[in-house]
Amino acid sequence: MTAKLFRTSMAVAVSVMALSIALFMGMLYQYFSNQLMAELANETLLVARGVELEGLGYLDDLDTENRVTWVAADGTVIYDSVADPAAMENHADREEIREALSSETGMAQRFSSTLSEQTMYVTQRLEDGSVIRLASAQKTVAILLLSMVQPIVVILVLSLLLSAVLSSRLVKGIVKPILSLDLEHPEGCDTYDELTPLLSRLKRQNDTIRQQMALLKQRQTEFSALTENMSEGFLLLDRQGHVLSHNSGALHLLGVEEPDGEVNVLVLNRDEPFRQAVDEALSGKRSRQLLHLNGRCCQLLANPVLEEGKPAGAVLVLLDVTEQEQREELRREFTANVSHELKTPLTSISGIAEIMQSGMVKPQDIQGFAADIYQEAQRLIALVEDIIRLSQLDEGAENLEREPVNLLSLAQDVARRLDSAAQRSNVTLKVMGLSVQVDGIPSVLGEMVYNLCDNAIKYNHPGGTVNVTVAPTQQGAELTVEDTGIGIPVEDQSRVFERFYRVDKSHSKAIGGTGLGLSIVKHGASLHGAKIHMDSQVGRGTTVQLLFPQTAGGAKE
Amino acid sequence: MRDKFNEQLEQLNVELIKMGALCEEGISAATKAMMDQDGTLRETAIAAERETDQKERDIENLCMKLLLQQQPVASDLRAISAALKMISDMERIGDQAADIAEITRFIVNSPVTSRVSIAEMARSVISMVTDSIDSFVRKNLELAQSVVRKDDEVDEMFLNVKNELIRRIGQGDDGETCIDLLMIAKYLERIGDHAVNIAQWVEYSLTGQHSED
Repeated sequence: MTAKLFRTSMAVAVSVMALSIALFMGMLYQYFSNQLMAELANETLLVARGVELEGLGYLDDLDTENRVTWVAADGTVIYDSVADPAAMENHADREEIREALSSETGMAQRFSSTLSEQTMYVTQRLEDGSVIRLASAQKTVAILLLSMVQPIVVILVLSLLLSAVLSSRLVKGIVKPILSLDLEHPEGCDTYDELTPLLSRLKRQNDTIRQQMALLKQRQTEFSALTENMSEGFLLLDRQGHVLSHNSGALHLLGVEEPDGEVNVLVLNRDEPFRQAVDEALSGKRSRQLLHLNGRCCQLLANPVLEEGKPAGAVLVLLDVTEQEQREELRREFTANVSHELKTPLTSISGIAEIMQSGMVKPQDIQGFAADIYQEAQRLIALVEDIIRLSQLDEGAENLEREPVNLLSLAQDVARRLDSAAQRSNVTLKVMGLSVQVDGIPSVLGEMVYNLCDNAIKYNHPGGTVNVTVAPTQQGAELTVEDTGIGIPVEDQSRVFERFYRVDKSHSKAIGGTGLGLSIVKHGASLHGAKIHMDSQVGRGTTVQLLFPQTAGGAKE
Repeated sequence: MRDKFNEQLEQLNVELIKMGALCEEGISAATKAMMDQDGTLRETAIAAERETDQKERDIENLCMKLLLQQQPVASDLRAISAALKMISDMERIGDQAADIAEITRFIVNSPVTSRVSIAEMARSVISMVTDSIDSFVRKNLELAQSVVRKDDEVDEMFLNVKNELIRRIGQGDDGETCIDLLMIAKYLERIGDHAVNIAQWVEYSLTGQHSED
């Protein structure tokens, strides 16, 4: 603005000056040429008098800058100060000569064919009828004007300098109030009235911007609060794959530190499935990949962000599915196990029945085969019963009636039922302790204690003992089943509560059981809010402790 | 103009990360192929080698374009020249991983014990490669220096494997298999050296100092 104002005022000054100089020069030119003509006429008169008095001799002695010509009345050139008169043509038809012949004096401005330049002529008729002519080149005027140029240029430069200084001061004066405007707070500014509408508009826009910024900030806070509290990882990418936004969950799952600045997503992870998912999402396709990161399993969902049908970025969501994967693994194992366990007795039954059907069995052997079928069927029934019990426990046994149960008498009851089995295995089964009541489901509790004792007898050495102890504790009650059996190796201890898990897979059929006993104990315990402690040493025996929490009616009798 | 330059530098960075990831995949597939005698993993390693070759050419072109068109100076120039050196090391890693994969065809029933110490060596080498690429990706000087230090361990392991194999040949084990295993060990040791080179170039691009062995 300053430059423009300065340029404009300078242009005005310069053009005014140029115009006035041009006018001045034009007027001077006119004046000089008139002056010149008058001088020429005077000189012509003088020369004419001289020639009349002295004749041609006067002309020879004459010293003048102008060209002098003497033309006879018939137009023949008698004398010329510049050219040879003999070579010159008849001058009778020249305008100024004709004029002089007719009216004594004459003048003309025309192109001289003799000198080949624009020339001013003045003529005077002599008394003998001949004509004296003086001629002066018109450029004489220009030379006169040129002599004026130097002072004019000096004036021009001076006035230009002056106008430059003045215009710059003027411009500064105009611009200063505008520059001193406080654009953040335009309402209190003292400035030109013409700017007031602009300023009030500015104020309104400032307010709008402030409001929108506040709103945006709030949204941003909300958004980051949302994403930060997600346990899932979240990454927002632009078209080139730069991370625009991320939450700490994503960094945690990818196992990387906070990146500095805007980085490419491949800096965070560069595994093949990850790259593939990012590439697909950025090219506009949905993608889903399973990543194995630092021993954990992550589900990566990559969705493109489309803008007018073209991919403009991508949203990546990372889910920790380690537990799901583990559970899925367990479920697959369980399904495989259950079908195997169900199929084994059925295959035996079917095989025996097939032999009997073909009539290859002697009548006296039929009883033995029937006994086999019976045994297998019993195993199948036990298995199915266990599975049903487990699924009952799975499907919330809440609807089962809870009532105060005396743990000691429950244990004694179980011991009676297992007495014959213990005798067969040559194992002593003893129940000791104090009478304690807990709040629980009698059938489930009985099942739990039965399974623990059953295991303690089955996996025992001949002549071993099983001690069941019931005692009150500060937290509630505890029931301990201690045996002197074969024990459980350390690496299997965490898995024995899984369904169908067997420590010694090869002898499971000889020992019997369904492989679901401890699983039922575990589920029963969780139903009662009880904790299980297992302590086992191979060859020395196993101790399983059930710790029941305090219940409303659970007091020592 | 500068925007375009930055964009190209960024692209160079991304391509290098991808090439590094390919190297990691190649070497881990090759060693897995050795341990598990897995034919598909062997193919993976060989395919990764071809891809690294292609990537090397692409990155080389990109670097040349950057050098000629943008005439970079200071740290940008260092980054580009380091990239040019790094890709040849990465390409060698890819090649040697593919070579290991090729050899695994011939060691079907090798003495298991010696394979175990080779497995340990392979793990160390893979972690060196991963760390060197990581140090580039994260611009982490310390990590780069740790790779350089780790090379001594791998060299030591190579000597152990070599002695073990000599002992086995003396005991009358199959000589051919032992020599194949020795070659694998040597390739692994070389890959470790290339990882050290990469780490040194990372160090150079970060500090301007290139430490020689």
